Amino acid sequence: MKVLLGLARRIDALNDIVARISIWLVLIVTLETAASSIVLKVLDVGSNAFLEIRWYLFSAIFLLGAGHALQKNAHVRIDVLASRFSRRTQAVIDILGTLFFLLPVCVLVIWLSWGVFADSFSSGEVSSSAGGLLLWPARVLVPAGFGLLLLQGLAEMIKRVAFLAGCGPDPLGVDKQMSAEEELANAIRRQREANGEAAQ
Amino acid sequence: MIGFLIENMAPLMFASMVLFLLVGYPVAFALAACGVTFGLIGIATGVIPAALFGALPDRIWGVMSNDTMLALPFFTFMGLILERSGMAEELLETIGQLFGPVRGGLAFAVIFVGAMLAATTGVVAASVISMGLISLPIMLRYGYNKQLASGVIAASGTLAQIIPPSLVLIVLADQLGRPVGDMYRAAFVPGMVLTGLYMLYVAAIAMFKPAWAPAIPLEARIFREANGRSGIVSLLVLSALAGLATWAFATSSWPLHLIVALSKGSVTEVALDALIVLSLCAWMVAAFCVAGLHRLLGLHLLSRMSEQFTFVLVPPLGLIFLVLGTIFLGIATPTEGGAMGATAALVMALLRKRLNLGLLKQAMTSTARLTSFAVFILVGSRVFSLVFYGVNGHLWVEHLLGGLPGGQIGFLIVVNLLVFALAFFLDYFELAFIIIPLLAPVAEKLGIDLIWFGVLLAINMQTSFMHPPFGFALFFLRSVAPSTVRTIDIYWGAVPFVLIQMIMVGLVIVFPQLVSVGISDNKKVDVDQVQIDIPMGEQSAPDDTLQRELHGDAQSAPREVPASADPLADEIQRQLMQESGK
Repeated sequence: MKVLLGLARRIDALNDIVARISIWLVLIVTLETAASSIVLKVLDVGSNAFLEIRWYLFSAIFLLGAGHALQKNAHVRIDVLASRFSRRTQAVIDILGTLFFLLPVCVLVIWLSWGVFADSFSSGEVSSSAGGLLLWPARVLVPAGFGLLLLQGLAEMIKRVAFLAGCGPDPLGVDKQMSAEEELANAIRRQREANGEAAQ
Repeated sequence: MIGFLIENMAPLMFASMVLFLLVGYPVAFALAACGVTFGLIGIATGVIPAALFGALPDRIWGVMSNDTMLALPFFTFMGLILERSGMAEELLETIGQLFGPVRGGLAFAVIFVGAMLAATTGVVAASVISMGLISLPIMLRYGYNKQLASGVIAASGTLAQIIPPSLVLIVLADQLGRPVGDMYRAAFVPGMVLTGLYMLYVAAIAMFKPAWAPAIPLEARIFREANGRSGIVSLLVLSALAGLATWAFATSSWPLHLIVALSKGSVTEVALDALIVLSLCAWMVAAFCVAGLHRLLGLHLLSRMSEQFTFVLVPPLGLIFLVLGTIFLGIATPTEGGAMGATAALVMALLRKRLNLGLLKQAMTSTARLTSFAVFILVGSRVFSLVFYGVNGHLWVEHLLGGLPGGQIGFLIVVNLLVFALAFFLDYFELAFIIIPLLAPVAEKLGIDLIWFGVLLAINMQTSFMHPPFGFALFFLRSVAPSTVRTIDIYWGAVPFVLIQMIMVGLVIVFPQLVSVGISDNKKVDVDQVQIDIPMGEQSAPDDTLQRELHGDAQSAPREVPASADPLADEIQRQLMQESGK
């Protein structure tokens, strides 16, 4: 179990690093899109490459972020029934779900998309629009993203098995991070206190 | 047994989907797994061709190269930065000060600011939290009814869902295969009407239950003149002058010239939505010039209130112009408008010294996370629908919903009741990705304009934020409301607004032209016409739907992925078409 939990920690760390880097793509794609559209409107200069790089970055954001989102339990669930179950039942559901839902889908997608990527890579496939980019860097994102997702699925499963076996914490309870909404509320409160003090 | 399975593959698949989802595993993977499972069963029983899964990478590729969904991270990011920029707080304080001394004034201010914030961002949580922290305590202090106060805040926050640029409209546009820009145009006027209905309700309360919405005393004001006067007169004069200038501008040929110059296109008439946005901006520019000159020259003609009011309205109106204005005028696509808006929000937060590295990282992380889970539900639903169409599920749904008594109206009533009921349990992402793809082809076949249909559903889905006990707006409000406001007050407070929402749905069904007002651009025909006599066969043959499905987003993505990218997909498509022809 210890070995497995060590593996889970490594996977967590891997997806953490990937997420920490890939979030910057949000800023990059925002500035790139804003800049290139202003240049296009004002100077009438543009290229399909500018358009294509946008969705390359967009794809990277959602595909590479999927594993991390799974780790943070951010993928939306319908919890009308599930929220009434005990923690242990929820853990069992997650283990079965990972085994029968998540992993097969990941394996299938990786297997199918790897071939597409390999073909694209070896043939040097280029997008059909004028000034288009090489396609394989986008194609490789699919197996990469689903690979990270698969690994995180394994890690989540290990954590839940450990929890059920009594040698690990509750994986849904460990994350005591503030939600974005709580942070916003705190920020506004702080700001108002600061303003209030300044006024007095 | 096998025979039964083959016969009833579509209903069985639908039932399994419900079951898979109810278990509580993340929606994205449960949907995909349901698709894969039935794909395998279908292949084993020979219902669908073995090569079906070959189209899977192509479907994911279609989601990736989809320009529509790209607007999602931009508007999310913009909202997350804006909510920390202090704009909402300033607006609430100033407008609250201005309207407060009128009966029901604080509630009007909340609705007004809610609509204003909604027109700059698409994030509900931010509006509700800001209002809950700033306006709610003031309303309670001056004796507002707790239910009214919490209801008006929750409802005004959800305006972000219907007034463009909203996230739900992006998702709906993607699901219905329509341009986001058209969706935004179409939703603008209904959003304004809905805001008006909220205000009407508050006005009625102020008239018949004055104790519920008292005026705040003049002494409670911060922005007062040295001699104790409110300075309202000066504001009225300033507004009237600016309004006059705006009226002169709006009725002149200037807006048209401006649009022609900006969009470099041949436009012959100004659409109403574009005119509203332009006039707002003209008003802002006029008032700002006067107030700015006034301050520069050190005159003492204007009151503090009118200066404050003018300066506080500049940033949101500027953003509205930058985002909605450019989209409505046809200068920018929603994707570009979103990126420019997000950049402007960043600049604004920087100028106000509210932006730091920690905040930036947090906003980027939240954006990446939301984008990831939302787009993965989309991927899951594409995998599901690939197989669902393969087993002729669309025909089954069509048969089920298309044969309802009452034709269009029967269908609309059933669909709206269904969405209203499901909104108690599902949020708008789930509704949009799971329910809409099933409904859209039927609606199209019944001759219902999909843009109109999307706006109608968006208004209905707005209730998913207000339904007790799971509604997000209520949940956010609970987290910031003082403990003197009981949870049951928040629940009951939402009820009148849910009713108003249903009235609005009814209004849109009875007066479909409400939605068409915005789309008077050259490319759109009158929705009234479209409603009744869209040629039945045009887009709705199952083969066409199938083709669109197989090619991902041929309609919504401006630049289609090269079809030659996957010869296998063409092959499957051919096979599937034969299959569905049987």
